[in-house]
Amino acid sequence: MTDRTHSPEETKAALHDVVVEMYDRIVKGEPPTMTLPVRTKNNITFNKRLGVYKYGKSTSVRDATSLRSAKQLLRALHVVEFIEEMIDAGKSSTLREMYYISEGWGHGKFGSQNESNNLAEDLEVVTKCLREDFKLRPEEDGARIIGNITLQERNRRGEWMRINARDDVGDSGYGVPYNVESEKLELIEHDVDFIMAIETGGMFDRLIENGFDEDHRCALVHLKGQPARSTRRIMKRMSEEWDLPVVVFADCDPWSYRIHASIAYGAIKTAHISEYLATPTATYLGITADDIVAYDLPSDDLSKKDIEALNAELTDPRFQDPWWQEQINMMLELGKKAEQQSLAKYGLDFVTDTYLPEKLAELGLA
Amino acid sequence: MTEKRDIATRMAGNQKQASISEFFEKNKHFLGFDSLHRSLITAVKEAVDNALDACEEARILPDIRIEIRKADPRRDIIELEVEDNGPGIPRDSIAKVFGQLLFGSRFHAIRQSRGQQGIGITGVVMYSQLTTGKPTHVRSKIASETTAVEMDLGLDTKSNKAIKSKEQRVPWVLEDGTEKVSGLNVQCRMKAKFQRGKQSVWQYLRMTSIVNPHASITFVDPDGERTHWPRVTERLPRKVSAIKPHPHGIELGQLNRLAKATKAANLSIFLKTDFSGVPGRAVKEMCEVSGLVDAKGQPLKSRPGRLDPEQIRALAETFQGIRGYLRPYRLDHRGSRIYVANARRPGNPTAPIANAKHGDLLDALTGASIDDLVGIVTARTDMHWEESLTELVGAVGSAHGDGPWNKQAADAISKHLRKAWDPRIVFEAVKLLKPPIDCLSPIEELLIKKGLSKTIDSRFVTTLTRAPAVSTGNPFQIEVGLIFGEGMAADSAVEVLRFANRVPLMYQQGGCMLTKAIESVDWRQYGLDQPGGNGVPKGPAAILVHLASTNVQFTSEAKEAVADNEEVREEARKAMLELGRGLRKHLEKKKKLAKTQEKFELITDILPAIAEKSAAILDREVPALAGSITRIMNAVIAQEETAWDKESKRTTVEISLRNYTAKARSYTLLANWPQREGAVMVDNEHGGRAEMTGVWAWKLETLKPGESATITFALDGLEKGDWTETDVFYRGAGDVIGASKMDDALLAELRRQEDIITGEPQEEEEEAMADEPEGPEVPAEDSPAPPVDEGGGTPAPSGPKQTLFDYTEGEA
Repeated sequence: MTDRTHSPEETKAALHDVVVEMYDRIVKGEPPTMTLPVRTKNNITFNKRLGVYKYGKSTSVRDATSLRSAKQLLRALHVVEFIEEMIDAGKSSTLREMYYISEGWGHGKFGSQNESNNLAEDLEVVTKCLREDFKLRPEEDGARIIGNITLQERNRRGEWMRINARDDVGDSGYGVPYNVESEKLELIEHDVDFIMAIETGGMFDRLIENGFDEDHRCALVHLKGQPARSTRRIMKRMSEEWDLPVVVFADCDPWSYRIHASIAYGAIKTAHISEYLATPTATYLGITADDIVAYDLPSDDLSKKDIEALNAELTDPRFQDPWWQEQINMMLELGKKAEQQSLAKYGLDFVTDTYLPEKLAELGLA
Repeated sequence: MTEKRDIATRMAGNQKQASISEFFEKNKHFLGFDSLHRSLITAVKEAVDNALDACEEARILPDIRIEIRKADPRRDIIELEVEDNGPGIPRDSIAKVFGQLLFGSRFHAIRQSRGQQGIGITGVVMYSQLTTGKPTHVRSKIASETTAVEMDLGLDTKSNKAIKSKEQRVPWVLEDGTEKVSGLNVQCRMKAKFQRGKQSVWQYLRMTSIVNPHASITFVDPDGERTHWPRVTERLPRKVSAIKPHPHGIELGQLNRLAKATKAANLSIFLKTDFSGVPGRAVKEMCEVSGLVDAKGQPLKSRPGRLDPEQIRALAETFQGIRGYLRPYRLDHRGSRIYVANARRPGNPTAPIANAKHGDLLDALTGASIDDLVGIVTARTDMHWEESLTELVGAVGSAHGDGPWNKQAADAISKHLRKAWDPRIVFEAVKLLKPPIDCLSPIEELLIKKGLSKTIDSRFVTTLTRAPAVSTGNPFQIEVGLIFGEGMAADSAVEVLRFANRVPLMYQQGGCMLTKAIESVDWRQYGLDQPGGNGVPKGPAAILVHLASTNVQFTSEAKEAVADNEEVREEARKAMLELGRGLRKHLEKKKKLAKTQEKFELITDILPAIAEKSAAILDREVPALAGSITRIMNAVIAQEETAWDKESKRTTVEISLRNYTAKARSYTLLANWPQREGAVMVDNEHGGRAEMTGVWAWKLETLKPGESATITFALDGLEKGDWTETDVFYRGAGDVIGASKMDDALLAELRRQEDIITGEPQEEEEEAMADEPEGPEVPAEDSPAPPVDEGGGTPAPSGPKQTLFDYTEGEA
């Protein structure tokens, strides 16, 4: 994956292109602009070669004819300048730090952290560089992993440290760092049959307490909701480098479906780097809409927002697969959603003794 | 009025059997003394109303101080002191004013006065005496005497007379050592409770100060806390004159009394001189309609007092419009009414028109034209016209035999009736003139605006005084105001401020017609919250409604809620809609302004920053911005600033127009200004011309890209806060941000608003009743505005419109 990152010179040049676009427009007596791909579900298409969803050809022009867009352009310039300064000084900062630093940017100050995060992504998309190139770190912490896998991580002293994610860690497991590229992390060896990504911490802890990873020879990854880039990246690497299947075990609601889509097909927001983050072979294990019926699970009514989200998914290119359409429609018909923990209706061991073995058997992994 | 009189009658009758104090005790609920809390408000109200009325009559700008002290907190004994700078009361009248219930002229004259409500100050004297046994202390000074007179007043409840004691003459020296010119000080001690909140003395005085902007009111509450509502205008309310009763508002009993009491020698003189709104033509018609005519059709010569009960009843019915004329008419092809000649007959709307017998019809038929025939047929309202026709044809047949004339006539009539003729009949009461309206004293828009602004701190105020109207013979006028903006709760119902004849209404908001008028408007379309589109709207606003009338009808004797009256409610509703439109305009303007300001921020702050930052990053020169600015703004922008200049005591207005487009633009700018309110435009160096009353126009030089023009002028004759916002309009191609395009629709709207203010043109009713059939109606001349020529021609100036109410100068 070394080809992924860009040299400081390449990064700066790419950023300058953005600035040149604005500057040239002003010289021509036009309002300055910034051209970037449309980042909505309407502009992601399946890339057959990569097996993931990438941005399509639609672009939008952000021009300075409204105050809002003009401020965005000014912010982009401040961010570019800030990144150049960091590159030159050999520093890095978190996105949150940048948000606070923007306090001193006058009219280019960010209104919220979300704005600064989005702008960093905008620049990634436009320059085709990564935020690692920009020396910007996410605030989000990565996932936790437990299972019989061994990796090697370079510590702050620059030394390689060998860690087994079953024997060398405590109950919280191995914490995935924000940078999981080969210069920071190497996958050494494993003795598992598959990787299971789990949405909630409660279920992750349940499976560990019940010894599921050892009984079923798997590595458990706690996603912590919508998984961070590093979480998706490390799963992608394990799946590719070790040739392991990945299964996703999440709640049964529209948001869990999206978590799976971002793991397997690529997230809309990061479609410019889907080929690095997505694991096309990942399979959705459950909880599925038909599980609610089959296992007679305690469920909640879908909220208005849930229904809107499901309807949006029906037209999302990533869910065009007949199986997904069926699941989404079934959830809409039921008008119900269920949590992973609802399996506890049948006792604490039901999930590990009955439910998961049955579901894994369907996939031929039991 | 009638209620008042009822009380008077009842009291006169009661005096024989029961003492007046018993009467008071029995009726205290509608006299306003039913609870300890309300008694205090009522007492303050009576005293303050008296002070305001007295000052108004004497043309003195009122200075009123109200002080409430706790005399004995354990027993709810309160001392109330009210002092004014009014004319004072001459020594010999004091006992009458304070000691006799219903003393005074207002129960007999028809005009707008505060004192229509409440029993008068005597009620306060009586209440004090009944609850504490203490007399009321009065000090009065009139300007022509050098000393004041002081006395204690009690009531002899058996004889309804005052008992004077401790009378003495004293010099009245004010705190600053000077002598008081004139005034009244009243102190009384009563069982009462002081409270704060929505229904309190404080709120009553606050509301009073809103509708009496010419008064200075100071209130000291039992805790010594002082509130001062300053005077915001030197203009006294217009002096109101009494009017004679108008027939529409008169009931049978009242007419009886008037007929007995009149000095008029005969019926005609009685009708002509004892009532308002009865022109000579109507006298004859009223007599005819009432059947009070002799064989020649002339009004009876009898004395009004000699009319028998049936005749009086007939006359009363005519007064009330129950009797009148039935007039057949047809519609021509354009839908205009054409009255049938000589077919008007006295009658009333429900009874069939003269029950013509066959014989009459036949007589009428002899030599009658087809038009006449139709008229006769259609006058028969007791049956459908087709039946009438059959009957008519039958009648004609039996008289003349089935000759060819008959057939022809029947065919012709039938054809006409069926196709072109739409037989109708209209009932018309005897047309009267409207009563004079100088008996009303509206507060007027600008003063309401000031009144509202001084007690409520907020941004936007719009007010409207509707033209006076008449309901059942009583002139009335609706005034409304709306204040909107910061400093008021946004998520609760708006504050409703109701007034009748400048008197605050504080109780029974829900049952009041004025509230219903507010509720009848869908405020959502005007920018206020209103769940379900009905009820009192929510939002940071207060709505004021003032009903001025010679006869305010209340739902009950408590006189806190105005009774429903369709005409009055409709007037109030229309006024609300107007307010709503004003609010919407304001909000839209605010939005536009915000947008314009955004654009300015963009080109003055953001764009230069983008240019500098990008140049710095690329290490190039900072590019010129003119081109980008033009492309970004791509508009002509108008900016207006209206300010008060302390030095010159003038309102200054500056309007600038800047062309941010790539093309040369040419405009005529227009602005509104308070011409009607008496402002004079000065320092208008750009000249221009009057577009219409209250709108000025300036033709500007062509603006090249990037160029700007500025117009300044000042307004003299206004007070601070009278004029805070100037509307800017333009004529010419291409949009102007910050100004409205002056087109025909907008011009019409401005004219319409002017009509609302000046009142619809009065109908010429004297002439309308000619007995000749009226020709097809020509559409009323709407006299559209003369087209204004862009080249700067001189449009016909619309004549000076007069305000209906002029304030007389206050003797400052």
